[in-house]
Amino acid sequence: MKTHKLLILVFLLLVLPAPGRTADSLPEGVTRINAIAAPELKLDNIDGEAYDLSTTGGHWRFVHFWASWCGPCRREMPSIQRMINQLEDSDIEFVIVNTAETEDAVFTFLGIVAPDLAPLMDSDGLVTQVWQPRGLPSTFLVGPAGNIQYRVLGGREWDQPAYVEFLRGLK
Amino acid sequence: MTARVIGTLLCAMLPAIPCYSTEKPYPDPFFENEQLLMVIKPRTAEQMAAFYEARGFPQAAIDIITNTCFVTVHIENRSQQVIWLETANWRLSSNGQAVNILGAGYWNEQWDIIKLMQANRSTFHWTQLPPVVDLQSDEPVAGNIVVPGGISSFHLEANFKTGKDKRGESMQKTFEDVGCPQHASLP
Repeated sequence: MKTHKLLILVFLLLVLPAPGRTADSLPEGVTRINAIAAPELKLDNIDGEAYDLSTTGGHWRFVHFWASWCGPCRREMPSIQRMINQLEDSDIEFVIVNTAETEDAVFTFLGIVAPDLAPLMDSDGLVTQVWQPRGLPSTFLVGPAGNIQYRVLGGREWDQPAYVEFLRGLK
Repeated sequence: MTARVIGTLLCAMLPAIPCYSTEKPYPDPFFENEQLLMVIKPRTAEQMAAFYEARGFPQAAIDIITNTCFVTVHIENRSQQVIWLETANWRLSSNGQAVNILGAGYWNEQWDIIKLMQANRSTFHWTQLPPVVDLQSDEPVAGNIVVPGGISSFHLEANFKTGKDKRGESMQKTFEDVGCPQHASLP
């Protein structure tokens, strides 16, 4: 009898929706917010190329703040690289912003875990401060009209299907 | 036997279900239940000096940092409601005397005196536990709280309000003898 109950429990757990999605079908940690205009984001990347978020409208932007000393950032970064690879055919733009570190520190870390990324360098940390992340790492999803529409809390396994499908489905 | 096999299978398939283990999941001191995880990790002056030196902090800043006591705090909201991290509602004491957390005002004053670079100020800021966060379901937060030097250990009473409007049931977690290891050995 006890075995039957356990088997039923196993069956129910198998047929329930996969974990990673909340009731309103947002992946875990993703919060919809009332659209607010994205703050200014004008920085050079690690190769010295200038970037200005306000000139890149018309598509979704994945804006991510991180630092190599932050444990969750370190754990998350390889999954960001894999997610970017998976979304190569989408028009989402990935804007990776390092907060207040030197080029040496960033190069040493990213060279190993995500060599294809060319992060923007917020060398004094003031751009990060204006965006007011709740902590590092922190991600904002900026819509085609330039408004922040989603905030993502803490580090995530970005290459998991729940996140990749969610990002691919952004309209 | 069948039950044990099924239990093992469930454990392997569903990481959200805690599996029995004789090992503690976190180093002491920590608190864990279905609503909240709170882990406290006292740091030595040497650990803090090494961390900030490696990030280019000047010696004047290291001297200030190592004359205080750093404790890293990790909190996760495991409930379905908002939990308010508000360090102003925390009570710290040592030998019956209240102990204050050294906040942004204290640090900005110190950094102004030694003219610390903005990049270092920013890094320091992000390594501190934010004073106020409305922790959403599944949201983690971590960072250091710092108390004045010369304290060997302190009592920490962490009070949390809950609910979007803070009208939910309050939570209180206490930690005895949170240490400031090796601080007394500093010059």
